[in-house]
Amino acid sequence: MRAAGDTKVVRGVELRRDPAREPCFEIVHLHHDVPESGSVTLEGRRQRAHREYNQEVQTLEIAALCLVDFPDVPWQLRMELARQCWDEARHAQMAYDHLKELGGWKGMYAIANLDWATVAMLDSLPARLAIQHRTFEAGSLDSEHASVPMLKEMGHHGHAEMMDAIEADEIQHVRFGNEWLKRLTAAQPRALLEVASAVTWLRRVVEATGGDRLKEIATSSDTRELAGFSESEITQVDSMARAALRSTTTEPGATHHG
Amino acid sequence: MLTVKERGHFVATMRYAHVSVMETMAAWVPTSPEMEVKLLLGEHIWDMAQHADSLGKRTYELRLALQHSVRPAESYVDFLAEASAIGPTPQRLAAMYDVVIPALAGRQRHYLEQTDRLVDAPTVRILERYLVDVARILDAAHALRRELPALQMPDGQWVTALLGREAALEFLATAPTAGVAVEA
Repeated sequence: MRAAGDTKVVRGVELRRDPAREPCFEIVHLHHDVPESGSVTLEGRRQRAHREYNQEVQTLEIAALCLVDFPDVPWQLRMELARQCWDEARHAQMAYDHLKELGGWKGMYAIANLDWATVAMLDSLPARLAIQHRTFEAGSLDSEHASVPMLKEMGHHGHAEMMDAIEADEIQHVRFGNEWLKRLTAAQPRALLEVASAVTWLRRVVEATGGDRLKEIATSSDTRELAGFSESEITQVDSMARAALRSTTTEPGATHHG
Repeated sequence: MLTVKERGHFVATMRYAHVSVMETMAAWVPTSPEMEVKLLLGEHIWDMAQHADSLGKRTYELRLALQHSVRPAESYVDFLAEASAIGPTPQRLAAMYDVVIPALAGRQRHYLEQTDRLVDAPTVRILERYLVDVARILDAAHALRRELPALQMPDGQWVTALLGREAALEFLATAPTAGVAVEA
């Protein structure tokens, strides 16, 4: 668990201090300070690959931290988290290889570690599963699902295949998050309060940091069903996404995954 | 011939060590700055978890609880904790990939020499499969350090001393006592 000095303050909200990064990286604290100029130009594609690389590493770091912080949770859940570490490491390598193919390099652009900074503040594993797996990674399923046909249409078949493969892995991460969240809250009703508190906390972070997380794209019902969401949960998420889209638009596939 | 109790004691202790190694690797992921190192550890966390899981299934077959762990000798627990507390990445990699993992593999090879390969065949299979994995794990760590010389230790004396220290330690606690209960 975090110790004194492990936090930073961003726009009045206390967040977890960034994970270790090499000096070649410029670290910023808000997503909109990370360069993002679409997926059409070479520069935009490099920026995206660079963001994906850091995002996958960040998600690896979150899964690894759960193994460290919660040694007493059921072994099968630890196995899922350990497997996720490997998956995210592979995804990060794929993103890095893609970045290099595009002529980019590590540290080419600024990075933000807002997912880590948010999730690593939570002291309860059910809360982390609710925010990281059910919210962040489930949102990524939607964006990945939309990005595959978009990339194919643009002629980026290799990248499309990579995103499709990543989505297949991410479905399992969201699925085990859903399954274990249900099991843990059923076994320990107090965990529901921790989850509710975490959701309130996330809203506060999103408001303070510019609402980046609200800029999701249309919900993918197919992938969410595979990932263990119920029909009513999918409908709820879909209506939230539509409400968010009314106020802002964003490019499909340009969000976060891990 | 090793008794069922002795075999269970070894397997459960080895499970403890691999869970401990998995946790150390996990702790080093966010705290090691080098991206390549994070990815290496991320892969090997899963390898360690799988081996611990196989050992934990075997404990059940040896009249212990499913996913049962036994604490090694206190000096060995201290040794693992000291390794886990190392800060600089080159030392971390050297401690893990030149000392801890090869040493644990060596203890498993020694066990294979002692145990009856027919009576204890299920354990033998688990350990032999793991030793194949260990070769891949160590190769990957060596390859990374060849590729990124900044991750190499400047001299081999530190590793030699640590290897010597490990070799002098008892691994098993004296008596097969109470284990660390783990919910399966």
